[in-house]
Amino acid sequence: MSIRRSSGLIGAVSLALVLAACGSSDEGGSGDSAKAPKTRVFTADNGKITIPADPKRVVATGYAVPVMIEADAPLVGISSWKRGEPMMTDEDLATYKKLTKVAGEQAAETNYEAVAEAEPDLIVIGVPAPVLGDIDVKRLESIAPVVAIGPTVPSAWRELSRKQADAAGALDKFDAAQKTYEAKAAELKAKYEDVLPQLKLGHVGAYGEVAKGTFQREFGGSWGTNIAEDLGAAYYGKVKEAGEGSRSVSEYPSIEELPAAFGEADVLTYSVNADGSVPEAVQYVLDSKLWKNLPAVKAGKSFPLRYTEAATYGQAMKTLDAIDESFAPLLKR
Amino acid sequence: MNHTLGLRVERRTAVLVVVMVALMLCLALLGLCYGASWASPGKVFAVLTGAERSVVISDWRLPRVLAGLVFGAALGVAGALFQNLTRNPMGSPDVIGLDAGAYTGALIAITVLSGTSAQLATGSVLGGLLVAAAIYLLAFERGFSGLRLVVIGIAVNAMVTAVNSWIVLRAELEVAIAAVGWSAGSLNGVGWGDLGIPFAIIALLLILMTTRAHAMHQASLGDAVAATTGVALNRLRLLMVLVGVGCTATVTAVAGPIAFIALAAPQIGRRLAGAAGVPLLPAALTGAVLLQGADLLAQMLLAPVALPVGVVSTAIGGCYLIWLLTKEVRRA
Amino acid sequence: MTAAGRASGPEVSGGPARTRRAFSPQLGLFVGGLVLLAVVAVLSMGVGARPVPPAEVVRALLDYQGTDDHVIVRDVRLPRSLLAVAVGAALAVAGALIQTLARNPLAEPGILGVTAGAGFAITVGSALGLAVGQAGELGFAIVGSVLAALLVAAVGRRSPLRLVLTGVALTAVLSGVALGMRLMLPDVFDTYRFWSVGSLAAREQAPLALPLTAIVVCLLGALLLSRALNALTLGENVAHTLGAGVGRVRGLALVLITVLCGAATAVAGPILFVGLIVPHLVRKPAAGSVPWLILYTMVLGPVLLLIADIGSRVLLPTGEVPVGIVTAFLGGPMLIWAVRRYGAGSL
Repeated sequence: MSIRRSSGLIGAVSLALVLAACGSSDEGGSGDSAKAPKTRVFTADNGKITIPADPKRVVATGYAVPVMIEADAPLVGISSWKRGEPMMTDEDLATYKKLTKVAGEQAAETNYEAVAEAEPDLIVIGVPAPVLGDIDVKRLESIAPVVAIGPTVPSAWRELSRKQADAAGALDKFDAAQKTYEAKAAELKAKYEDVLPQLKLGHVGAYGEVAKGTFQREFGGSWGTNIAEDLGAAYYGKVKEAGEGSRSVSEYPSIEELPAAFGEADVLTYSVNADGSVPEAVQYVLDSKLWKNLPAVKAGKSFPLRYTEAATYGQAMKTLDAIDESFAPLLKR
Repeated sequence: MNHTLGLRVERRTAVLVVVMVALMLCLALLGLCYGASWASPGKVFAVLTGAERSVVISDWRLPRVLAGLVFGAALGVAGALFQNLTRNPMGSPDVIGLDAGAYTGALIAITVLSGTSAQLATGSVLGGLLVAAAIYLLAFERGFSGLRLVVIGIAVNAMVTAVNSWIVLRAELEVAIAAVGWSAGSLNGVGWGDLGIPFAIIALLLILMTTRAHAMHQASLGDAVAATTGVALNRLRLLMVLVGVGCTATVTAVAGPIAFIALAAPQIGRRLAGAAGVPLLPAALTGAVLLQGADLLAQMLLAPVALPVGVVSTAIGGCYLIWLLTKEVRRA
Repeated sequence: MTAAGRASGPEVSGGPARTRRAFSPQLGLFVGGLVLLAVVAVLSMGVGARPVPPAEVVRALLDYQGTDDHVIVRDVRLPRSLLAVAVGAALAVAGALIQTLARNPLAEPGILGVTAGAGFAITVGSALGLAVGQAGELGFAIVGSVLAALLVAAVGRRSPLRLVLTGVALTAVLSGVALGMRLMLPDVFDTYRFWSVGSLAAREQAPLALPLTAIVVCLLGALLLSRALNALTLGENVAHTLGAGVGRVRGLALVLITVLCGAATAVAGPILFVGLIVPHLVRKPAAGSVPWLILYTMVLGPVLLLIADIGSRVLLPTGEVPVGIVTAFLGGPMLIWAVRRYGAGSL
């Protein structure tokens, strides 16, 4: 209707719009993808969704990408996910590179036609709830059932990744990976039992846009801390002004607050890149005189942590190794 | 003599309209054919006439192509209106801060409210209107000067942009990423459901404006001419501002800020038409061609990843500005 | 006298000597400005995420004990305040020089795209691996600001508002090109984020000796040149009879402007509007005297930037707002005022 009205406006536009009016007449008739023989109801961020019990062709985006690759889910298309690349095993990285990309780094760069082209029977979206607004979920639903399972707080990757793998019917390998991880974490926990639980820890992160003159302090349950916590490490303190999601476990105070933030810490950890190099935002902190004045630093108890952005059990295995490597001096006393 | 000149311009405009419409149709056809898989023009026609069915073509590509054409035309008209008002090629909504204002409204909708599409739309329209009102009031003192309005708009733009940065800095990381993504307009994922109301609003505004096009043309010949021909200048200007803001904010609400179309389209159209002033029809047609062309480029450049069209239009606008500058240097 | 006050010493010392004939109220105002600068400087070293009482600030400067408060004042805030003083003075004096030279009340290095040119040149230079170290950055910044200044002056010299439009157009073009390059080469152009918004934070560990020396030298140069510029404002004929080589004075002033802008941008990124606001604030007391205009802007530029920088520290509950955002917000109203005051006549 509205289209016809505007067509009367400018003679030139009208021609194109007449075409539109014709085109819009045959609406409907979508989602004719072959129904899987068995379905089940799955609870996701976007409600209760009926999905195939044993999906054969899965499209995954965002945080779900590394999870699905590790769990050997039957992927037919993924979004680009650069931030996960350094943490993938060679094998997984090869799989990641080989898979068809149907979306860019940002949710708004989803190519719906490419998704349709992949002919999935399930779409798993792993983006945070606010970003979901950038995606036309209805359109994706016309292709295949859509489950949105996005990150909330950083430490919730355990439940989220399980849910994502579950939706894709790829729990077998997932559970195995989880068991391996938990066994290793328990082993390391025992190893550090005598020293770690008694210590107060603090963490300097590098996640997100750390503005100039500030540093990221991560508390318990954040990216850089949640896996170390599985080893019995206790990160003290809590966010001054708690926000939603990641803002409930990390904050970006001014460098001047370094003494107030970490003055009581016995041990300090800081995020470094996968290759061991120090990110700019962290280097700024390490170069500061205030850092060098901290009791923990003076005592030589500051350790770099690699793979702090792990969000799958496979990646977290690397993190465990890295933490073990970094914390080894603590045992030597 | 004046008469023959007018005739010549009219004939040139007529030729231009035909050429532009042909170009639009070609780009539209290309837009309908192009996608993850190429559809032959034959198939496209079959779908358009209802002989065949294809959800991708009729429900995905068609609304996007139409949005590109109609929004482009709306932005072109908005730019032409403001350039007429300010009598300055730089006096377009994106330069004087209407886009930034609409974006502020949207940011508030995303960060403070829950960010539903209705809130986004209302927020951006309100933001654009508020900024326009502020600029208009500030520039309107002892008579009206277009150039002054543009520079005041630039000042307001700087302030509003500062506020936007502040809001993004305050926001949660993931929200901030979404908000930054939104800062370059995109037509990706536009469907029929998004277009009904915006098309209706744009249609209404354009009808309103076409009824007053003659008066606007008189006004563009100079205040004195307009006054003697009985044009109520202030009321006309208010209408032009409202229509211009309405078009900009409506497009921004659906697609985000698509920069530089409003700046470049009216000027290119004017030159092509060889007309005096900044006529609306060539601006609308050029805008439609530009935006649809930019959107096609955006889809092709990094395929299969869909680039926001705002990025491409910024690059096109940048080139246009450089060209404008070098031309001015040569003349100076 | 605080360290910040002392830091502006060399800039000040050239002033009264050159303008000793004009005594009394103007000198009084100048001294008042210095006192204000000292107060704001102490304040800027006291305000921050960690409050430090003024007495403790003074003690940290005079009797350094190495406590956390003292480290914060000495090693975080003092360098930052000094930077604000230098950058503020540089931008404000560059603004005063441009306004005098172009006889255009709306001219300002930020609005005219000169700082954008400098920032863009540094981005390109560092992406190519050429702008390494302070000398490289400074070199690229100066080249960028010279090119931008020449282009804008060539296009927009005919009317004040036109000049502004050209500058804004240039800034838009540069940001568009930078955005395009960032999309094509995301890793290489990641530094652009840094150069797109000006900030004084986190520069305390960077070596700044060279750009700061350049700024101080140019400020002295501006004072030396100010009388010749004064003659220039009386008209070129008068200037000729007074013996000021018009072309030479213009050329020297242009060199000073571009080096000041380039150096300020090289250390702090693009900061807009300081060069617009300050000269307008002091235009009345300076009463048409260019030497006094330069002197006043030299003192009030730092005051304004220090205040804006304090704002940048307190506007967010945690973290910081880049100071460039604060000055843009403060500068908008000033531009509007200036347009309404001066713009109408020159249309």
